[in-house]
Amino acid sequence: MDQLQRELLELICTTCNLHDVNLDSIAPDDPLIGPDSKLGIDSLDALEIAVTVQKEYGVRMDSENTSRVVLQSIAHLADYIKENRL
Amino acid sequence: MPDFPHTQSAHCESGVAANLLTHQGIPISEAMAFGMGGGLFFGYLPFIRINGLPLVTYRAAAGHILRQIGAISGVQMVEKRFRNQDAAMAELDQALAVGIPVGLQTGVFWLPYFPRALRFHFNAHNLVVYGKEGDEYLISDPVFPQPVRCPANDLARARFASGALAPKGKMYYLTQTPARLEYKPLIVKGIQSVCKMMLTVPFPLIGVKGIRFLANRLVRWPQRLGQERADLHLGHVVRMQEEIGTGGGGFRFMYAAFLQESAEVMQAPLLHDCAASLTTAGDTWREFAAIAARVCKGRAHPDDSYPAMAACINRCAALEEKVFTELRQWARQHP
Repeated sequence: MDQLQRELLELICTTCNLHDVNLDSIAPDDPLIGPDSKLGIDSLDALEIAVTVQKEYGVRMDSENTSRVVLQSIAHLADYIKENRL
Repeated sequence: MPDFPHTQSAHCESGVAANLLTHQGIPISEAMAFGMGGGLFFGYLPFIRINGLPLVTYRAAAGHILRQIGAISGVQMVEKRFRNQDAAMAELDQALAVGIPVGLQTGVFWLPYFPRALRFHFNAHNLVVYGKEGDEYLISDPVFPQPVRCPANDLARARFASGALAPKGKMYYLTQTPARLEYKPLIVKGIQSVCKMMLTVPFPLIGVKGIRFLANRLVRWPQRLGQERADLHLGHVVRMQEEIGTGGGGFRFMYAAFLQESAEVMQAPLLHDCAASLTTAGDTWREFAAIAARVCKGRAHPDDSYPAMAACINRCAALEEKVFTELRQWARQHP
């Protein structure tokens, strides 16, 4: 996991009040949302993550479809931020 | 392999409309298709229930954009629905055999190329089938960055998914398009239709009035329904807004992109200003949704409350009222 990915993982855990997560057990390509998510993140968490990412990185996820794809994994999210950050 | 100009889009219906027109030699952005199709809307419809909870929609009804695009002068769109699955698939194969890309309405849950976590029961997902190789269909699904493939059995199942908005095998394709689109009158017409829905429909649950109606209802939910059901309603509203194929904030952003593009075409700086205001409205919808998510998840900040959320929604109403009033006045000067 690179620095941005790690930073994002910490941000997600803070946003979603996930204090007992072993960050080292999460891989960049692990599913972030849904039944297979090790973090147990659902769509409402995803919404808050999208808003927080916009505030912190200035990158807007313009639609529900974009959020679905971008929030598939930490790796997807980090790539999206790198591509769209001003 | 057949050629099709696949472009990923934010919303399936406007994305498919744009991709089908582009394939016909009329390159058009998704935002422009959304705007010309009069895609923006708001409706709070408590008499229509989804999972026992009131319907909230942030965009025009499924199929509206495609109908508007199909009604453009010089455009002819064939639309068919089927009772029989085999007949529906045979008709699709016939169109593909003569090189016609075909739009389909499908149920997302049955499309195997969607990651499992992203599948949900939404039956108005649009995609374009542009070829077939063996038992697999070649698909331009606007949600995905690249074209995908889908086995015939799965696609047939998705075309005949049951439940709300059941697609009933719906397929559509363009048979005729003009050499070029006359953008200016189509932009004005698209803006006029959205202004009408947002400002002048007398029904109190529609448009800006509907947004304020939702705010007034929402602030009373804890007293009327009890905290648990109030939170359930709130979660539902937010899911309808940001998740179930509607995307309140997202559609405001897309309409803003349409206004920006239109400002260049029409040489109208006012449309730039309206785009900026509508982007602020989209951000405010997201702000409401983020508060709602925190409340539903039991991690509310000290300032998060039902009155705070209602105030947020009322700010959205005020912003949208201002934008569409200005747009209506502008459109009157550009008949």
